[in-house]
Amino acid sequence: MAAAPGNPALAAARGAPARRSGSVRRGHGLKGSELSWAIAFLLPYVAVFLAFVLYPVAYGLWLGSSPKSYSALFADPIYAETVVNTLIYLAVGVNVKLFLALLLSGFFMRPGWWVKALLLIFVLPWAVPAIPTFISFHWMLNGQWGLINNALWTFFQMDGPPWLDTPTLAMGSVITAYIWKWMPFWTVIFLAGRMSIPRELYEAAEVDGATGMHRFLHVTFPLMANLYTVCTLLSTIWTLGDFNSVHFVSGGGPALQTHVLATLGIRDAFELGDPGMGMAAVISALPLLVPLVIILMRRLSKGEVQL
Amino acid sequence: MKISSWRAIAAAACLVGAALPGAPALAAGQTVTVWWNQGFYPAEDQAMKDVVAAWEKQSGNKVELTFYNGSDLPAKIVSAITTGEVPDLCYVDNGDFLLLGQNTWNDKIVDVSDVVETQKAQYSQTALTAAHLYDNVTKKRSFFGVPLKQQALHYFVWKPMIEAAGYKMEDIPKTWEAYFDFFEGVQKKLRDKGQRVFGLGYSLATKDSDSTYLVNQFIVAYGGAGLVTPDGKLHADDPKVREAAIKAIAKLTKPFKEGFVPPGAINWGDPDNNSAFYAKQIVMTPNATISIPVAQMEKTDQYMKEIATQSGPLGPDGKPTTSLVSVKLAFVPKGAKNVDGAKEFLKYLIQPKVLDAYLVAARGRWLPVMPSMAKEDPFWTDPSDPHRPVVTHQELDGPTMPWFQSFNPAYADVNAEQVWGKAEANVMTGGMTPEKAVDIALEQIKADFAKYPVPAQ
Amino acid sequence: MIAGHVMRRRLGDAGAWFVGLVVLIWTLLPLYNMVLVAVQEKEDVFASNVWPPKPTLDSFVVVFTEGYWYLEHFWHQMGNSLFIGVAVAVLTLFIGALTSFSIGRLKVPMGWLVTNTALLTYVIPMSFLAIPFYRIMKSYGLADNPWSVIAVEVTFATPYAIFIFQQYGASIPRELDEAARIDGASPPQIFFRIYLPLMAPALVAVGTYALLLAWNEYLYAFLLLSSDQTITVPVTLGKFLNSDEAPWNYLMAASIVFALPPLAIYYIFRRYMSAGLTMGGVKG
Repeated sequence: MAAAPGNPALAAARGAPARRSGSVRRGHGLKGSELSWAIAFLLPYVAVFLAFVLYPVAYGLWLGSSPKSYSALFADPIYAETVVNTLIYLAVGVNVKLFLALLLSGFFMRPGWWVKALLLIFVLPWAVPAIPTFISFHWMLNGQWGLINNALWTFFQMDGPPWLDTPTLAMGSVITAYIWKWMPFWTVIFLAGRMSIPRELYEAAEVDGATGMHRFLHVTFPLMANLYTVCTLLSTIWTLGDFNSVHFVSGGGPALQTHVLATLGIRDAFELGDPGMGMAAVISALPLLVPLVIILMRRLSKGEVQL
Repeated sequence: MKISSWRAIAAAACLVGAALPGAPALAAGQTVTVWWNQGFYPAEDQAMKDVVAAWEKQSGNKVELTFYNGSDLPAKIVSAITTGEVPDLCYVDNGDFLLLGQNTWNDKIVDVSDVVETQKAQYSQTALTAAHLYDNVTKKRSFFGVPLKQQALHYFVWKPMIEAAGYKMEDIPKTWEAYFDFFEGVQKKLRDKGQRVFGLGYSLATKDSDSTYLVNQFIVAYGGAGLVTPDGKLHADDPKVREAAIKAIAKLTKPFKEGFVPPGAINWGDPDNNSAFYAKQIVMTPNATISIPVAQMEKTDQYMKEIATQSGPLGPDGKPTTSLVSVKLAFVPKGAKNVDGAKEFLKYLIQPKVLDAYLVAARGRWLPVMPSMAKEDPFWTDPSDPHRPVVTHQELDGPTMPWFQSFNPAYADVNAEQVWGKAEANVMTGGMTPEKAVDIALEQIKADFAKYPVPAQ
Repeated sequence: MIAGHVMRRRLGDAGAWFVGLVVLIWTLLPLYNMVLVAVQEKEDVFASNVWPPKPTLDSFVVVFTEGYWYLEHFWHQMGNSLFIGVAVAVLTLFIGALTSFSIGRLKVPMGWLVTNTALLTYVIPMSFLAIPFYRIMKSYGLADNPWSVIAVEVTFATPYAIFIFQQYGASIPRELDEAARIDGASPPQIFFRIYLPLMAPALVAVGTYALLLAWNEYLYAFLLLSSDQTITVPVTLGKFLNSDEAPWNYLMAASIVFALPPLAIYYIFRRYMSAGLTMGGVKG
């Protein structure tokens, strides 16, 4: 592993000279049978890509290419609000979810059988199918007879807020449902990431007298940083297409004020019967998507993690 | 239920014996691919399978019948039409709302006048008008759908709750304003007794179809039926129409602001009013089919005594309201491999006896579109059933009209965009007056209609 | 100093207990609502009950005995879901690991091109590529065939697998590969003996991801599969949304039952996630 110049303690712990690996092979191309193997290993994915990505994505882009679709889209009175909602949904939903996932991944590293048992329960939202859980959320958050407000009334004699009946609360409810569903997944990803960090690094840090926070900042965080960034970018891209949370929890209401581009696009495609316009709704997010994709590409090419 | 399954068996026996008048013009040995909306009970799907089996036997052809759930079948059909990989015959419950009008406009549907002609005399005028759609490529209005069944808005009331408030069912007024005010009174009385309930349980959401149905029915009741005329033209500037819309919006939103409608109704999906009704949280709810009592058919107390089905009060003008009827249409997409096969099957299906058997198996959830059926089959007017005769009388004897999207598909867009729901919300939570909200809605409707210019006919 | 250390640990433990409790309640509340619906009558979705007054396991019995018409082929469809889920997981892991090994370890020329192009898969969200996929599956002759759904899920899961494996793989020292190469190991041997075992935590995480992606897939299963014999359980559950009226208790009971197999699979494999910890001793 390449050791960064700025961290003498770690370099010493590893006993490795600085800047060793990589440079040995750099400048040597792959030879002969190794090259054949490398290409052979690539073939399965290339085949999948050619058969199942190229055509659908091209067709999708073509469906959304008519300028008429875009003028119809922008003329839709709820388009502007939908864009704002989408941005809020992405900014708040993705970041809160991933940040909490990162923290929880630290929590789940703790020893103890109860932590392991808790992890199994914690993974449930991810395992249970989305549609029934979101329907359950919709009912649970019913202002008059949902479980939450019933509980508030039974235990605290309080009239709970109208969770789905005002735009802010409804948007908040949708984001909460979304975080509830997807946080376990990212926690597991980060947890696996943490588990890959060699223990000697932590031991070395402890020998140096590092406390929990210090350990986090100097060992965990740098190693997880690239993973975290990749996950943020991917999660943003995926969340852009998230239809189920909004559709089943708030239905885009009240008064069409919690629609996001994905639900608007599906409405346009299948309820207005205009697939072109539906595709346009999602493609109109490309100005946001493309920079993200470019940053993601840069991150991925940074193969090695610098310590 | 014992009776309906006996009827189903008898019906099936009839189907097998039924013969198509005249020889089928179709050669034997072909396959017809059919996509059908799943029913609500096994008996309904089974009745369809029986019809298919009978036709297969009689015509020597094969049918590939697949049932799909109704909330996603439109997506499948739109995908099929977009990619050109279409089945021969489609039926989807919400087709008339969601896709038939627009696709006919775009010349994607086959003209089925020859099918409709075989039973034209049997159909009600509303059914025929609803199936008479406009193709903007051929510039022709013709029959592009085959009417099978219909639905309209009815009102459902809990008798025990009325009685707990100290009233009798006979006390429910029959005139427009008094009818709805009555339930506000019931709520007050029940609240005095400590019950946390609501008198009026109707959806005011911008979601699903319940609220759309209600507000459009109110507009019609207040005299706004001229919003779109059968030639497809929009009359948004007609003062009578504007007046009707303003009154409808005001009448629906006022109780919400005063606390007689559950606050959550602003975001209710279609199942939510059903659930609230069953939990006895609301006294009265409108619904566009009799699914509410029929789903409780096994609970005889509820079905026979406690849930009351009503066709609603007389209109604000004192005369019976014209029921807005949604006619369900089967259609043949263009590009289907076996158009003739599909048409022959449809001709078989719409023979009154065959169609009647199919509808009976659905326990009367959908109403017939042929008045003779109601007269000839006692099932529809069975006096021992508290629900069916009421709705049969409303939809087949009373004044009816088809939905506006039959005249112009632009109205399907208006529905999908929840224009009226948004108007209601503007009044309830946006602080607007009904006048302003209606003006905004009418502007939006004009913009939608601009995309579907119908020439003078 | 020692007392402070113990004090810090006690506070840390108490804090952990508190966090654990919050996580437990947070996770279970919506699931509790599902259970609440599953053990009551279908009408009681909106009854103001916090505890079920007369809980009954009837719905679960109905699910297990396929006693409701929407659930007639439940177990067969469960088998379909299992087949598709496992196939997707295995294929995704295999193809993803091979690709990231080739790009990240063997440093195949133009490898960055493959990674970047793989991103194209995500430019349009999955739910919007439904119509194009519907078309190509027909032209590939895969209509109503589980392999069509497998192909779609693998297509969407593999780029993610590649990216994640590259991130994890970066923390595995390349010296190990070189040592093995000097010892005369061929690339497949390095792949199977060194790379895969060290990637165990990532394999479990990504494998679970792929399994669950396919397991809970609704839209594509609905569009690409049609007959009762081929559809998967999410499509069956979707039938309950056929109208405004449905036995919600059966829906929730079936959903709960359906969530159990992936949990069981995850439980079996989760030991391999910690394998990374012990392997740490081997690392440079």
